[in-house]
Amino acid sequence: MSKEYFHSRLFTLVGPILIFAVLVCGGLLYASFGGSARDGLITQMLINAIIVLGIQIYVGNTGVLSFGHIGFGAIAGYAFAICAISPTRKNSQIPDAPFGLSGIDLTPFQSVLVSILLTVIVAFIIGLGLARSGARSGSVAATVITLALLFVVHEVAKNWIDLTRGGKTGLSFSPLGNATLQGRGWIYIALLFAIIIARLFKETRLGRLAQAAREDDLAARAVGIDPAVQQMISLLLSVTLVSIGASLRVFELGSINPRLFFFKFTLLTLTMLIVGGRNSVTGAVVGVVIITAGSEFTRYLAGPSVDVAALDWILRSGLTDIFLGASMLGFMIFKPAGLLGDWELDKWLKKFLPEKTNAEAVKDRVENNQERSHQSLNVEGVVVDFGGFRALDRAEIRAGTDEVVGLIGPNGAGKTTLLNVITGVVDCSEGYLKINGKSIEGLQPHMIARAGLVRTFQNLRLFHLLSVRENIEVARLASPDANNRLETVAIEELLHITGLDELRNRRAGELDYGNARRLELARAAAANPVFLLLDEPTSGMSDHESEAMIHQVRSVASLIGAGVVVIDHDLNFITGICDRVYVLDQGRLISTGSPEEISLDEKVRAAYLGSS
Amino acid sequence: MNELIQQIVDGLGRGGIYALIALGIAVIFGVMHLVNFAHGELITVSAYSAYGLFQAGWNWWFIVPAVILIAGMTSVVIEFLAFRWVRGAPDFTMLMTSFGIHFVVQALFVMYVSANFRQFPRPDWIFNTVKIAGISFEVFDIAVIFFTLLTLIGTFWILQKTMFGISLRAAAEDFDAARLMGVRSDRIIRGAFALSGVLAGVAAVFWLMRSGQAGPTAGLTPMLKGVLAALIGGLGSLGGAVLGGVALGLVEVMLISRLPEGLVGLTDGIVFLLIAFLFVFRPQGFISVRRAERV
Repeated sequence: MSKEYFHSRLFTLVGPILIFAVLVCGGLLYASFGGSARDGLITQMLINAIIVLGIQIYVGNTGVLSFGHIGFGAIAGYAFAICAISPTRKNSQIPDAPFGLSGIDLTPFQSVLVSILLTVIVAFIIGLGLARSGARSGSVAATVITLALLFVVHEVAKNWIDLTRGGKTGLSFSPLGNATLQGRGWIYIALLFAIIIARLFKETRLGRLAQAAREDDLAARAVGIDPAVQQMISLLLSVTLVSIGASLRVFELGSINPRLFFFKFTLLTLTMLIVGGRNSVTGAVVGVVIITAGSEFTRYLAGPSVDVAALDWILRSGLTDIFLGASMLGFMIFKPAGLLGDWELDKWLKKFLPEKTNAEAVKDRVENNQERSHQSLNVEGVVVDFGGFRALDRAEIRAGTDEVVGLIGPNGAGKTTLLNVITGVVDCSEGYLKINGKSIEGLQPHMIARAGLVRTFQNLRLFHLLSVRENIEVARLASPDANNRLETVAIEELLHITGLDELRNRRAGELDYGNARRLELARAAAANPVFLLLDEPTSGMSDHESEAMIHQVRSVASLIGAGVVVIDHDLNFITGICDRVYVLDQGRLISTGSPEEISLDEKVRAAYLGSS
Repeated sequence: MNELIQQIVDGLGRGGIYALIALGIAVIFGVMHLVNFAHGELITVSAYSAYGLFQAGWNWWFIVPAVILIAGMTSVVIEFLAFRWVRGAPDFTMLMTSFGIHFVVQALFVMYVSANFRQFPRPDWIFNTVKIAGISFEVFDIAVIFFTLLTLIGTFWILQKTMFGISLRAAAEDFDAARLMGVRSDRIIRGAFALSGVLAGVAAVFWLMRSGQAGPTAGLTPMLKGVLAALIGGLGSLGGAVLGGVALGLVEVMLISRLPEGLVGLTDGIVFLLIAFLFVFRPQGFISVRRAERV
């Protein structure tokens, strides 16, 4: 790990620490002007912040909408309560607890550890299920699985009376069931920990790969990211924070019942997350503050009849619920990214620091690093049927790392389908796919990417919310031999070659067509493939741009020492760049040879002109 | 054997209601790619309408058409107020929007109507039984099955034969292409919401006849069942939604009659668990609607 890298991570901590300081000082200031009710409110706000940050780690980074996190909270809360309540209290409340649980006597700290452990185990199992269901940003099956978790936990908590004392009374720490938490020391520590973890995770390799998969699942796989791994780790980390928060919540309230971690609390925490901006850690905290303040204000509007003594203020119905629901709805309709989008305090502060140039790093570019021995791609006899339609009929293509191979043919000839077969997006019924004689048949797209075949997409699949530079970085991080030094050098070089130097901090979603195509190229190259597979890299470009593309593709390929397979309709481009060309028509290979030979081939002309 | 037939009829009665709700959800998913978690609010609104009309002295015969009409109109109003603004938004936004509506409507009822469940009289015939070939059936189950079939036939007739239905199916298959062919998206979406609302209204009538109460959370359980049924069937497949509903009803009845006494309270939990398992292994449901994504 380089020193620069370490410093930049260290600077990232400035944000969380400032946020923590502002939050705690503001809270204390507010509480100092009021009675114990305000004290309780601030304590709850800080605890809720921990839980919301936990949810942010999963929902923000993966884009999967989870209703289950409060279900995990319920598991953690009960585990904590059952461990931490004194045996005498337990004997009077749940004398018949199974597994002799009524006898155990742990300190609160030990109980939190037990609750984290238990919840993480459950989350691991749920996570396997989510992965199996192909969870990705906005996927309904995943959301329903998490919703099922919330309901199942609730039902169990209500019905397993021996263990939980059922829904009516719940478990309580002291006979009065009121606050037992002395001082906020532990809450401060847990909160600071939560903010730092959430913020750092967003910048780690895993976090960034997860965000890439959130932006575009298929494109992420195509550069070698397996979203399931990132999602699982996000889930486990996220659930850890939720468990800590839930345990503190139970301890603070002095009691637990099934309603405490059900729909209303889910609504509260999700609204907090969404209002602030689910992709931002700063946003999550801002959301917590705004929603807490807003709820408090609506409670004030509702008048003094509301029971102030009830510490669990959020379970009060009415105006607060309307406020929460309306905030969620309003933000979804008018500002779905939330107040802050993916803004982070430390990122913003960084702008005021003098920018370090990478000129030196670029200068001593590692020249011999990319010397690769000759490698080969062999694709033979590929057959693909779509229903009754034979899209590919014994198609084949061969390429080496020292050449640029073109794949052309009229529309519907099966060019993209062949590329999809090679990259594992479409299965073929027959055929051999080999890289250096090693079969890649039946591998998942991300495994194929790691084996050295990385593609671009005809219909542009960039990671929209990430910046140009981040798009390239993520692909570099996904590559099996990622290494930080090479990262900087190669990325700078790629930005330079593709002319994206000045657009590096622009969001990919804002790029115009030509730049977006060049970024597709740069991103694919950054994954450090053995073969670059380009699907119509010049489509939609002007003649001038596509001519420049010839040079850009060649430079990129020689930079990373990769062979190139390119599909295109622009014959000038194909003739200008290719050493060899394969011509497909109606799924069959009809000709192959140098661009000059192809242009003289009768069959090719016939296919293109439509006479047969 | 007799018992099994009884259970099947019972299950079909339950499942019929789920099927109607699921069909409404599938219709909306087809045109908007939205899983409408606010669908249950139509049933809540229906419940309160029925309660209100009872207070006003109406009887069931007039209440039934009124409730169906109100549900249909409410559905269109919700579309107009909320869903139209998120058309074409990412899935996450649409999911969250429908949950937002769910919470707001529920809270409005708590605030301005009542936080508690209100009872109203159930029609007196629903617990009657008839004996057919020596097996006794609940009249209600048979009525539900009969009217569900009627509604389904009506719905599928609309979908197959009318211009509106054909446009709607076209839009469900490929929304953009349908628009390019001159299908008017506004009208289709509004029509889909109206249809879905009417289906929810019919389902609500049966649901309320059995439960006989109105409360802010009255729509929650039927909504969840409907969403699950639609998902089991494979979202977007209309026939799948109906099959999913029927399957869900049958499974529930079988579970209730076979579970040991102490676990009957957990029926919903177990159903959820089973369905979660289903999604783990078949996230696209039983009938998968292939949405070929161009790459």
